Amino acid sequence: MPVLSSIGSQLVNLCSALLLLTCFAIVAQRRLSACVDLFALQSAFLVLTATLVAYLTGNQHIYIAAALTGVIKVIIIPRVLKKIIDRLNVKRELVMYVNVPAGLLICGGLVMLAFFIAQPIIPLGSLLTRDSLAIALAIVLIGLFTMIARQKAVTQLVGFLVMENGLFLGATAATHGMPLIVELGVFFDVLIAALIAGIYTNRLQDAFDSVNTDRLTILKE
Amino acid sequence: MTITVVVLLVAPLLAGWLSLVVRRSALLHAINLASMGTIVTAEIAITRTVLRDGSFTTLDQLVYLDALSTFILFIIGVVGSACSFYMRSYMDEQVARGAIAPSRLNLFFFLFHMFLLAMVVATVANSVGVQWVAIEATTLATTFLIAFWRRRESLEAGWKYLILCSVGISLALFGVVLLYYSSLHVLSDASQGLNVTQLLPVADRLNPHVLKLAFIFILVGYGTKVGLVPMHTWLPDAYMEAPAPVVAMLAGVLEVVAAYAILRVRMIVDHAVPFAFAGGLLALLGFASFVTAAFFLLIQHNYKRLFAYSSIEHMGIAMIGFGVGGPLGTFGGLFHLLNHALAKSMAFFAAGNIHRRFHTVEIGDVQGVAMAQPWTATALMISGLALSALPPFAAFASEVQILTALASQGVPGIEFTGTEGMVTVTLSDQFGRVALASVFLVSAVLSFGGLLYRMTGMVWGTPPEGIVRGEVWTLGHLPIILLAGALVGFSLFLPQPIQQLLERAAAILVIQ
Repeated sequence: MPVLSSIGSQLVNLCSALLLLTCFAIVAQRRLSACVDLFALQSAFLVLTATLVAYLTGNQHIYIAAALTGVIKVIIIPRVLKKIIDRLNVKRELVMYVNVPAGLLICGGLVMLAFFIAQPIIPLGSLLTRDSLAIALAIVLIGLFTMIARQKAVTQLVGFLVMENGLFLGATAATHGMPLIVELGVFFDVLIAALIAGIYTNRLQDAFDSVNTDRLTILKE
Repeated sequence: MTITVVVLLVAPLLAGWLSLVVRRSALLHAINLASMGTIVTAEIAITRTVLRDGSFTTLDQLVYLDALSTFILFIIGVVGSACSFYMRSYMDEQVARGAIAPSRLNLFFFLFHMFLLAMVVATVANSVGVQWVAIEATTLATTFLIAFWRRRESLEAGWKYLILCSVGISLALFGVVLLYYSSLHVLSDASQGLNVTQLLPVADRLNPHVLKLAFIFILVGYGTKVGLVPMHTWLPDAYMEAPAPVVAMLAGVLEVVAAYAILRVRMIVDHAVPFAFAGGLLALLGFASFVTAAFFLLIQHNYKRLFAYSSIEHMGIAMIGFGVGGPLGTFGGLFHLLNHALAKSMAFFAAGNIHRRFHTVEIGDVQGVAMAQPWTATALMISGLALSALPPFAAFASEVQILTALASQGVPGIEFTGTEGMVTVTLSDQFGRVALASVFLVSAVLSFGGLLYRMTGMVWGTPPEGIVRGEVWTLGHLPIILLAGALVGFSLFLPQPIQQLLERAAAILVIQ
């Protein structure tokens, strides 16, 4: 079925590209709740990609992973984050270490870097999902950048979750899913990490009257 | 053996859930000690089997135990039991003082058991993926233990720890994905593609390019947990804020488990990639940590941070040992992990005692511990001397082994394959060896001076007004005495099983 597989490959690439696009949207967005919405959208694209890969390769366990992504990252975590934001007194990222245009430029550079790093190992992958590994690495790097460039605990958490999405895309697209036990464990860890970070945000708000992590400067040399 | 392994895993799990429903403090401690005793018994049984038969897998290939993982289990057992005894007096006193509400005590124990469980799973797991899950679980279990006092500083330290370690660990997961990616082309059964037992036999056929990338990601990721410079910034804050038994576990065990995770992947990588690649990177990070920590030791005025930087220093030394490699370097590195775990947990027990008496972490405000708390002062001096690697202690032996390996072999060169062709940096010629050995010695002297100068200042003199003199014997002193005995004893005489374990573990890591 060469036709089906080439269309499939293009579709997977399209979905991965959409994931990358939402990353840029998150970097460009100042409103906290919109960032969370964008993260939910990105996770929805991830579910789509995973389902596509599962259908095209016939790997049943990717369906399970896709369903879990849908429940945890599209529904539960965004809801928890929204609740946290409702409690906060600030709804927008006021001061950013890197402004939006510069941030977008840096992210463009990160995408090029990711493709440069992944170039030598891309030919090893199956035809279906060749470029997704580079895109996954790009998403991980952009997530990392978001965590560094933003001040609010909530946006840092979103950055962390974006990183996880990139990792999951890499695992699904490049390797057709990790062994099921590992994937279940990763989901469990991500969910707990998000909940714990949520609890922290509340406590930071109570203790510092702010969720600006630049207030966290008591401890230093 | 299956039953023993199941017991090893179920004991902390069961103890954790029991702790959630139990209210009485005495019962909580009893559960903790019982679970610790079970773990140690299971570990002894496993050690006997491993020494007799070599490695084995069980539970449908999920668990893999060889001399290396058994050695790590041994460290978990020793430091874990020491902590459990110490907690008996420490936690009760905190509750009596009102620092911890009695209702939060069971949360503490629950998290402690989960932490222990995650570390045991990370050690015995066959799959590199399961190991990753367990190491991330240690982060999640310990972040609230670090922030347990709920002061602003503790919250800050806990948040930093959670974020930095989670990010680092995410990078390690990317490395695990890459490792899996490389194995898919070689292994027929993909569902076992992350198992060490499956990867090792075919390791020389894995794609070297993917493996190099995977190793870099995993080294940076788990290196964050080990506290290697420059990913160490969370460590001094966390060690300063966490309750003493928790720090003892973080410094004594968690760092060792994270280092073990790096070594496991390195074993696979070394088969396909020239030895110099992984060894060079390890030695590079090791030197960065050692030198940086040596300087920070000099400027510390807070004794908990002092010990934290000393942890970074010693993990750096161990990494240099693993990086240099060879039988001597690897043996020295593993032995150093053990010595550091014993000495550092003891140092933090002493620090916890001093903090409870003097109510300050400033070195300048603490004087005359010898008069106020003679037992603690002895413990502080012994651990301080051991951490400065002075001759009667085993840490001296392991440091000399590493230094000898470094001076005779040098650091393996790192090869960069770029578009321009091959660039080779060689640090194994004579000049390089002498230079590196000198850097090692200078840093060792700096940290020796920094550590010992502060400690003697704390121990001697007269205690400030209002500090109660004299020390009441508690169960918390038992682990201090046992650890001190081990620290002195191991340098004179290493018990046969431990020595065999160490030698075999080193043999596993050295690729002929």
